[in-house]
Amino acid sequence: MALGTRLIRRRTRAAAVQTGRVRQSAHEGFLSYAGFRWAKISGGLMLLVILSYALIDVSPRHNGGSWYGYTLGTIGAALILWLTALGVRKRKMTSGAWSLKAWTSAHVYLGLSLIVIGTWHTGFQLGWNVHTLAWALMMIVILSGLFGIFVYATMPQALAANREQMTQMQMLEAIRAYDRQLHVAAQPLPPAISAGVQASLEQDPFAGSVASRFTARYSGCATAAARAALAGVPDAARVTDLLDQKSAALARLRGHLRIRAILEVWLYIHVPMTFALIAALSAHIISVFFYW
Amino acid sequence: MAFILRRVSVTRAGKKIVRDRPFAGDSIRIGRDGGNDIHLEDLAVNPHHATLTSPDGRRVLVTASEGLGFDFNGRSTETAEFDSASGGELRFGGHRLTVQREGAAIILLVERTEELSQSAKDVDEIRAFSLRNLLPGRRISAWGFAALMLFAFLIAPIWTWYSYAGSDERPAGFHADSSWSSGPLSNAHASLKDDCQSCHVEPFVAVTDASCVNCHTGEHKKMSAAHANASTATLIAARAPPGTGERALAGFAAAFNRPEARCVECHTEHEGAGRMAPTPQQFCADCHDGMAGRIKTNLGDAADFGVDHPQFRPLVRPAPGAKLVRASLDTTPRDISGMKFPHDDHMDAKGGVARMAASFGGRYDFGRAGLQCKDCHSVDAGGVAFKPVDMEADCAMCHSLAFEQVGGVTRTLRHGEPAQVIADLTAYYRSTPPTRPLQLGGMARRRPGQYAEGAVYNIYFSEVAVRPARADQAIAAVFSKGGACYDCHTIYAPSSGSNWRVMPVKQTDRYFSKGWFDHAAHEETKCADCHTEARGSKLASDLLIPDVKQCRDCHVGETGAQLASIRVDDPVKSSCAMCHEYHMDGGRPWTPKPVKKRGDVTAVTAIPRRALYTDHFGSGDNRGTGG
Repeated sequence: MALGTRLIRRRTRAAAVQTGRVRQSAHEGFLSYAGFRWAKISGGLMLLVILSYALIDVSPRHNGGSWYGYTLGTIGAALILWLTALGVRKRKMTSGAWSLKAWTSAHVYLGLSLIVIGTWHTGFQLGWNVHTLAWALMMIVILSGLFGIFVYATMPQALAANREQMTQMQMLEAIRAYDRQLHVAAQPLPPAISAGVQASLEQDPFAGSVASRFTARYSGCATAAARAALAGVPDAARVTDLLDQKSAALARLRGHLRIRAILEVWLYIHVPMTFALIAALSAHIISVFFYW
Repeated sequence: MAFILRRVSVTRAGKKIVRDRPFAGDSIRIGRDGGNDIHLEDLAVNPHHATLTSPDGRRVLVTASEGLGFDFNGRSTETAEFDSASGGELRFGGHRLTVQREGAAIILLVERTEELSQSAKDVDEIRAFSLRNLLPGRRISAWGFAALMLFAFLIAPIWTWYSYAGSDERPAGFHADSSWSSGPLSNAHASLKDDCQSCHVEPFVAVTDASCVNCHTGEHKKMSAAHANASTATLIAARAPPGTGERALAGFAAAFNRPEARCVECHTEHEGAGRMAPTPQQFCADCHDGMAGRIKTNLGDAADFGVDHPQFRPLVRPAPGAKLVRASLDTTPRDISGMKFPHDDHMDAKGGVARMAASFGGRYDFGRAGLQCKDCHSVDAGGVAFKPVDMEADCAMCHSLAFEQVGGVTRTLRHGEPAQVIADLTAYYRSTPPTRPLQLGGMARRRPGQYAEGAVYNIYFSEVAVRPARADQAIAAVFSKGGACYDCHTIYAPSSGSNWRVMPVKQTDRYFSKGWFDHAAHEETKCADCHTEARGSKLASDLLIPDVKQCRDCHVGETGAQLASIRVDDPVKSSCAMCHEYHMDGGRPWTPKPVKKRGDVTAVTAIPRRALYTDHFGSGDNRGTGG
């Protein structure tokens, strides 16, 4: 970690000298920050662990309790705490040396190196216990983060394609407009038919189960039900037409919600599991010393 | 009596505008249809939803007319009757109709209370479009999960420990601290799996030897005996200087109260169910590799049987009757047992011994190839070692001590009791006459001439007269060169105060007191393959024990290490524990037996171990009788 901060400082000092003359022409994301510096550091770290694990002869066999295991465990635990500190770091406005992009880049790549550090720390002895639980939580956190990076890289295009230049509130406003028109158009309809339209009006466009949110499939959609009930009813062409348009607007909104849900869900795993991990990690460390 | 319909609308600025419209008549129709007196543009309202009447101008009666009810003062109903003076609130779909009395008129206040659609309601954009309303909040689930982890895996286990602190044994069943177990215990300790405190007695105190020897009584003593009763300090000093990592760990261990040289350092637990892991050679080599340079010891350094093991030092008797001492096989030590036994004569397939043995066909089955090892050497009950050679059982087939036949019974000299031999021979010569010549007997036809007869007579009877004195000659002959005793034994001639004496024979039953050799494990090997010197040995004092080089023909180090000078066709990987034991108890070193698949065996009958040996030991042919 100390090495990492030194590197960040040195790099930033060098960059500060240059900014006067050189302007960055293209956007550089946190993944490719500083020519994949943290990817290289992390890759080197993983390679070092794998090689040293293979070369160092620990008797009777590798496990978390050998000197090598303790070393990896200590590094891993320190790394977990540092990675968690991103949550604090991103809420603080800091300038200069501590760029958030650099920090995020290091967070991502050092977090990935934890797969090797943590797993090799176990000596591949896994079981149904608090020690493996801590490892499993760590893997869940890392993999959810990996998923987050993956969707951040791939989903925004889908989000933009679905929006077609509309804002979120415009999508909702379209539905409101169709609802107002439906309300007027359905007034002459007999109660048996207008009830369906009313149900469509009364249904919250944001309602639906978690599964519906992620699949954009809403089996209990009142608008679709009203449209189906109106099929073949004479003198309801205007309402039918409006229901079709509302369905399209709903589909766009739901598609938008789906993509946003996919984009967001990793954080609902990543953050709580991090805290669960820190708690399990504490239990893991204390238990080792308790039953020394 | 009049109804006044009052509508209230709110301007954008929030200003209320009230419009009143009087109604004549005593009945008012309410519904979605445009023809109603109160027309409610509300899809939740029926075209002719209800009728409101007030026949007396005071009481108000509301009746639903199309089956769909309404709310009266918050309760769902289809008819309602009330005094307009006390007023009432009716609800039709998204509209509220408040009935109250002002003077003589009944005021009907109509307001839209609900948005015409759900979507029209205000939304918090950030919440509505995210997962916040669907999933539990990150903060709450973070703390929730963390608390759950701490409770289930920290507080509960510690509570379990606290509950049973000081008790001898925990009851069976689930105990929260089992989640702390880093792996299953070995089979031998499996019963302790729920009772962490049987070993982990004090919190933050590493498992002590006291926990082990509570059950394994005597192990300390055995371990010490195997290591010349060395002190713990000496044992620690014998260890190889630690590397950087081990030094770090030692510092760590010291800082965190984890003493060295405890049983559990070698006998690691929680390494998985099954048998406890065999001790790897590294545990021995940690000390014995280069140990002579670290502590004062007369042991040679050893690190790997294949490449780094000192020459064997069996126990030998360097002089007749002397105490056993250890001597390296490199010095070609002599082992004086007191016997005379030329192995070469006995093992020569074409020599006199072989001829004699062959002539016993039918009585003793020695075979045609001469004597075999098994003809004289027999294994003990366990098959591990050989019984001492026994004169009566192993030699007497050829080396007969018979001296007389009485009525078909052979009398023999008493083996092992020289005084008895002397007495028996003396008695024999005293009680038996010399063989009577033919000339002196019976009714045989006699040739002419009496002289010859008289000569024989005289010779015979003078012999009879001196016969008892002949015993001394016979005794001397037996104990002297060419005699039955002298052939095999070291004899002391009579001197003042003692008669003939035989040096007591001392056969060594175990040459290696610190090592273990199991003949049973080598039953597929011919004796002569290892005891190569036997065939050419002329003296019983030749020590025919194979040396380390001989063993290395098959045995390589634990990891397969071998000397470049030796070609091993079928290497047997051999850790230290194959022959040596840390906790020495004189028996076979403990090694985990390979787990056999049950399907391989249908039934186990008696195991004919002895027969197995006598069948082929030494001849190396097929493996005996088993099934």
